[in-house]
Amino acid sequence: MPYERVLMKNVGVSNSTSLDVYRAGGGYDGAAQALKATPQEIVELVKKANLRGRGGAGFPAGVKWGFLPPDREITYLCVNADESEPPTFCNRVLIENDPHMLLEGILIAGFATRTTIAYIYIRGEFVEQFHILQKAIDEAYAAGYFGKNILGTGYDLDCYIHRGAGAYVCGEETGLIESLEGKRGWPRIKPPFPAVEGAFHKPTVVNNVETLACLPHIMTRGLDWWLSVGVENSYGPKMYCISGPVNRPGCYEGPLGVTCRELIYGEDFGGGMRGGEKVKAILPGGLSMGALRGDVFPKNTGDVDPTQDVDELDCRLDFDDVRRYGLMGLGTAAAVVVPESADIRDVLVNVARFYALESCGQCTQCREGTSWMYKIAQRIQSGAGRILDLDLIEEVTHNMGMMPGLSICGLPDGAAWPLRMLVQKFRKEFEQRIAEQSPDATAQRARDVNPAVYELPLVEGRATSYGGGTFHVPQTR
Amino acid sequence: MPKIIIDGQEIECRPGIPVLQAALEAGMDIPHYCYHPGLSVVASCRLCLMEMKMPHPRTGEMDWAPKLFPACQTPAKDGLEVRFDSDAVRQNQRHVMEFYLLNHPLDCPVCDKAGECYLQDYSEQFGSASSRMIEDKQKNPKKDIGPRTLLYQDRCVLCTRCVRFVDEIAGTGELRVVNRGNLAEIDVFPGVPLDNELQGNVVDVCPVGALLSKDFLFKQRVWLLRSTKSVSPTDSRGQTIFIDHNEEGVHRIRPRYNEKVNEWWISDEARFGWKYIQRPDRLSTPCVRIENELRPERWEAIPDILRASFAEAAKGNDGAAVGVVLSPMMACEEAWLLTRFIRQLAPEATIALGYVPVVGEDRTFPKGFVIKAEKCPNRRGIETILEHAAGNTTDFAGFLARAIEGAFKAAYVVGGYPDEWVTDRRITDALAKTGFLVLQDLFPSALDGMAAVQMPAASWTEREGTFMNCDGLIQPFERALLPLEGLKPDGQFLFELAGYEGLYRAGRVREMMAGELPPFADVFTPMETPKHAH
Repeated sequence: MPYERVLMKNVGVSNSTSLDVYRAGGGYDGAAQALKATPQEIVELVKKANLRGRGGAGFPAGVKWGFLPPDREITYLCVNADESEPPTFCNRVLIENDPHMLLEGILIAGFATRTTIAYIYIRGEFVEQFHILQKAIDEAYAAGYFGKNILGTGYDLDCYIHRGAGAYVCGEETGLIESLEGKRGWPRIKPPFPAVEGAFHKPTVVNNVETLACLPHIMTRGLDWWLSVGVENSYGPKMYCISGPVNRPGCYEGPLGVTCRELIYGEDFGGGMRGGEKVKAILPGGLSMGALRGDVFPKNTGDVDPTQDVDELDCRLDFDDVRRYGLMGLGTAAAVVVPESADIRDVLVNVARFYALESCGQCTQCREGTSWMYKIAQRIQSGAGRILDLDLIEEVTHNMGMMPGLSICGLPDGAAWPLRMLVQKFRKEFEQRIAEQSPDATAQRARDVNPAVYELPLVEGRATSYGGGTFHVPQTR
Repeated sequence: MPKIIIDGQEIECRPGIPVLQAALEAGMDIPHYCYHPGLSVVASCRLCLMEMKMPHPRTGEMDWAPKLFPACQTPAKDGLEVRFDSDAVRQNQRHVMEFYLLNHPLDCPVCDKAGECYLQDYSEQFGSASSRMIEDKQKNPKKDIGPRTLLYQDRCVLCTRCVRFVDEIAGTGELRVVNRGNLAEIDVFPGVPLDNELQGNVVDVCPVGALLSKDFLFKQRVWLLRSTKSVSPTDSRGQTIFIDHNEEGVHRIRPRYNEKVNEWWISDEARFGWKYIQRPDRLSTPCVRIENELRPERWEAIPDILRASFAEAAKGNDGAAVGVVLSPMMACEEAWLLTRFIRQLAPEATIALGYVPVVGEDRTFPKGFVIKAEKCPNRRGIETILEHAAGNTTDFAGFLARAIEGAFKAAYVVGGYPDEWVTDRRITDALAKTGFLVLQDLFPSALDGMAAVQMPAASWTEREGTFMNCDGLIQPFERALLPLEGLKPDGQFLFELAGYEGLYRAGRVREMMAGELPPFADVFTPMETPKHAH
């Protein structure tokens, strides 16, 4: 039976952002149904549905709501639309095409958590998406889905959009809350968790856009339908993004548990590699979750052992199977495919660069470690690597974030896993590239690699601005 | 009192403090940068991570949790068991130190903080002698961020103590973190320098050599300095301080923790307002007027001259024609000795509290730090002594009112103010009517022309004694410097003048005072800060 699209059913439908089109497809029925129940019933329903957060960590939404103190007076709902994980754009597709699905989800979640004010924290670069969403909110207010006494039930909910200023770390829930409060987006120490003390020191729920967009469908289609989609412990539909040299890069919907192979080669998804090229690597959960090989990975150094080594493209993208392959989690299920022709050193630099730029600078390991990794990756890329560097990357990434609790948020873990896995899984290729270097390359160029990228003008008084916060690309000699 | 177990050792700690503070107070050396007991907790340096026993999620048995927890953020609750003495903790400390030292410049030889720098200390303990990073270091700029402060951003460890200080204690918020990741740095807003009345404290809270005081820059190596416990004379709050000095004199003043007054901070006037003690025009030789000219006299001759003159003035009127002005810059002991001397000769003498300088109004900062408008340390102390001194007592205005009527045949006036205080004509006019005027002061003043005897005074760094602050707290201060060449400290002189022999010791005088004035039996000494806290 072909999969019936739920979250993306309106993608491609003309005028799909309007309230009329959304309502014609049964929109806001779920909310109407929810508002007839009690908040507790909805929380229980979502708990039973085991709706796991789509933002990356996969924490069950119902359980998160259950952490709210029962005697609270004010609750805030923060919608995390700060989608900044590198190959990820599913929230953007959702907001662009079906903003009312998100708004209905907010209404249901807001009612379930007894929220009176919802903030949508939208990524600053999402300009058109902001306008689309604002228009949808205005429509929804006019139709009585927001404001006072919604649908005659006596429930009040206000919804505001807050635009971010462009930081990856503001997608972390406490970083988001700090930023929402108007402060520097530095993640907070936990405890207290946001459910107890979040935005403006009040109990706060932070949910991802896609998580909330699932709620109307759980309401209208029921629990049985929900549990029939996906695989065990990972129920429901999921929006997958695929980028890289596949025939049809883009955002596709499927049940949870689609394999990487299906995502690349499936007719409903990537449609195969461009030019029939072989897959070298795939980073399936956004960058932060780690990397998989495009073939069988010999876990024990040396040759492939068919009894325990598996083809990594068979990795199922659900919340649990990915861990068997050493990934940190499902992440955003946005895959970037690396073709056989790509140089693995370039991949390493790209990954390292992202985290060096996006580390917020609060915790020591992350601030210093990410930029060190970037420097090493740059040096390896420029042809001045050492075998020692590979061990160094493995060790330092371990020191940065392998043990839980080393840092305030998960950013250094997210930086450490892909770098470490790239080096582990492609060690032979790295070693080969290093062996191909001219013998004295390291000695000659080690001092030249690092870059003017990190060089700031020496000034008296204020630090001068250097290109609006972006890094200069170093001139190659 | 909650009891917690650290490394198998049971420790009783004050309620409501984090584990880190409890460990430090128990004398343990736990490395930390961002934690400061007077500021909010951010737990960002990741150096004080520890292991903690928690119930196992499945069996419920208490066991070491497989992760690390920041000790600065974990409250010391009764029964908690933690350990720092484990491989995971020590490894983390080593790793974090490696990260800190990656980009830190090796400029300790030219860094003012060397010797009291916690990056030095911790890198000696956990750091590696060589760096594994072969790339260039990140060089952040050196910045002039305010009239009193320099920021060497390349040395910064981004603990954000300074940022939290200006936010929470000073409430002015000049400092901020700008940029992200490894480019993150401390900075001020364009056109808004770090300039508030508590700004000097950001240099103290900086655990490394990033924030340096321009006043102390390249002046001395800190290991050549000795610290003396003292009390600031700049306002009536009695902020406790350390005077850092050596044989060349005072080099800087630092706050000394005081739970009842200034906690970890001092105001800028207390920190920088000591320069007057080095003025070249300080008086150092006693002078007696002979043939309308002040001529130097030996110290040994002065007491007899004073005794004879005051006895002469007191003759026949029980001393009603004698006046004394006790300066609120004097220590309690000195004031008591002078009172005693006068009362012996002239029981009916008028004893007055001297000029009390007041500038502006009291300034209260967000977390309760107060800078007093009253710019003298001991008004309450002098008043207490006056209350117990029998006979006539009055305030400065009362004294002047009587003096201008020509009521005094002889008067002993003590000054000792850092700034010129004889600015009012009423003072000169009144004292011009006084017969035999003894003037004790730091600097030459408008009164010199009328003085029969001019006595040099010592600055508070050269004296010892107690000040009673505006809340009635009696706090001792110790002598830091030898007196100026040729100068006899006020206490010693007054001790001899009052008829005692031997060496003036403030403690000994307090014992004598305590008979009349019971509060002086007990002085307040603040809690010591833990050895390894900073």
